[in-house]
Amino acid sequence: MIEEPFRWVEAIQNRREYIEHQLAVGSPIACLSCPAGVLLLTVSRERQKIFEIYDRIAMGGIGHPGDIERLRMAAIEVTSAEGFGRSAQDVSLRRLASYSLSPLLKAAFEQIYGPPYLSRMLFVELGRRDEPDLFVRLDYDGAFHTNGGSFSKAVEPFAVISGKTHSSDMMEKFLRGKDFKKASLDQAFAIALDAWMVGHIALSDDAEILPSEEALAAHREEQLGFGSVEAALLDREARTNITYRSLTPSEVGALVPV
Amino acid sequence: MTPPGFPNSNSGQDPGSLVYEEFSALVRRYGLTVPLPGAGPVSSPAAPVQTQATTILAFKFKGGVMMAGDRRATAGNLVVYDRADKVLEIDHYSLMAIAGVPATAWEMARMLEHSFQFYRRSQLQEMSLDGKVRALSKLLRDNFGFVMQGVGIVVPIFATYDLVANLPRLYFYDAMGAQFEAADYAVSGSGSPAVRSVLYYANTFGSRPLQRYNEEDALLLALRALDTAAESDTATGGVDRHGRVFPIVKIVNQTGIVTLPERILAKAYRRDLQSLPKHTPKFAELE
Repeated sequence: MIEEPFRWVEAIQNRREYIEHQLAVGSPIACLSCPAGVLLLTVSRERQKIFEIYDRIAMGGIGHPGDIERLRMAAIEVTSAEGFGRSAQDVSLRRLASYSLSPLLKAAFEQIYGPPYLSRMLFVELGRRDEPDLFVRLDYDGAFHTNGGSFSKAVEPFAVISGKTHSSDMMEKFLRGKDFKKASLDQAFAIALDAWMVGHIALSDDAEILPSEEALAAHREEQLGFGSVEAALLDREARTNITYRSLTPSEVGALVPV
Repeated sequence: MTPPGFPNSNSGQDPGSLVYEEFSALVRRYGLTVPLPGAGPVSSPAAPVQTQATTILAFKFKGGVMMAGDRRATAGNLVVYDRADKVLEIDHYSLMAIAGVPATAWEMARMLEHSFQFYRRSQLQEMSLDGKVRALSKLLRDNFGFVMQGVGIVVPIFATYDLVANLPRLYFYDAMGAQFEAADYAVSGSGSPAVRSVLYYANTFGSRPLQRYNEEDALLLALRALDTAAESDTATGGVDRHGRVFPIVKIVNQTGIVTLPERILAKAYRRDLQSLPKHTPKFAELE
């Protein structure tokens, strides 16, 4: 029965609904470019969600921890092999996403007898020299979106992922209204944290209007009681080739607005 | 037919991925290295003349471990290169100095650097100091098949800072991969007998042991030791003041790794020569 084309389409549709339902509770991840580097931020309760992939590449993921882990390992493996076999200069996020991960995810999603990856990922690459930073959002079906920079779309200096489309739309709306081109790390941190609050509120609220400053502050106070801020930086001023560093709890403590 | 929810060949899941895979295994899986020959009878009657890099030294001083190497690479009695870098940074706190065949040694350094990083990224923790020291030992042992065939011998020194015990650590190896922790200093390469004697003499009969040297005195000793090695060993470059080719000198301590810039080395060497009595041959080099 599954061989009939319309059944296959139906099976894919069911699968999509199932995955979207599983991802719907996923805590948002906000990521933005500032002069200090690229900041990745989320609020987590227990497990780590932001990871180093290679010298200039980091990722954040929501979904099933087992699947995130497999994709993380695949990304580290591919980039490490390329960096060793050729050079660190040859490792690129564009190639990682479009040639390695996207086909893998698409194949797993459409092979309806096998398990799909229950995950939504955000990859970031720190731009070399004057190149803009690259953000890639990669979904469970292999579809991916970048922050523009090709054809007619302007480059946006941020990217987000969240459990629901409405939530990530609201976060993007919020970040489009902010100017962090010259922001210090402190300011960028505060904006990213607010963006997370916007996304988290929008997970359970369909309102199209952005929450007020007061509402954000109240939500922040409430949420930071349950979980803690997890943040990492791809450091533009890093002394060595390795640019990734996670912010220590004391750094985060000093950066969270009171 | 595999029931839904079970891993199958399309899921990308490899049962082998349940255990941690060494970076070296990954590299082999991707076909990025030449297969190593096993130890066996020598297959070529005369091994080709190989490029060799010499002389390296490291010792503990007040500010951590100082590691230095001359710049010369030779093949037989030919100078191949006079700007070779034999003191390599492996990670934030680890230095490796190489003596032997650079083709193998630089590849080992690259392999070491990538395996430490691969471990940190995949396992979400830094490799332990013991793990790092053993990793180099393993690379040497894997290379022993080549060594037995008369090619690719490498005898390195490894220095790192132990963040747990809060101490600098220094190790030397033999070509088979045995590791030895050095108390005060370690040397390797063709000029090493001379360098070792200089360091022994300074440590034992000097006004104070090496571990109490400050950075300036330590640098002076390192330069003098390499100069002494170059006096008798043609494969050691020593200090070429006129060609402005100075040894590579690096320091590792609790803050990480520092490379001493060439102008500091030039200044220290010049000051040293100026301090010598006027009738000595070294003083004449100033002219």
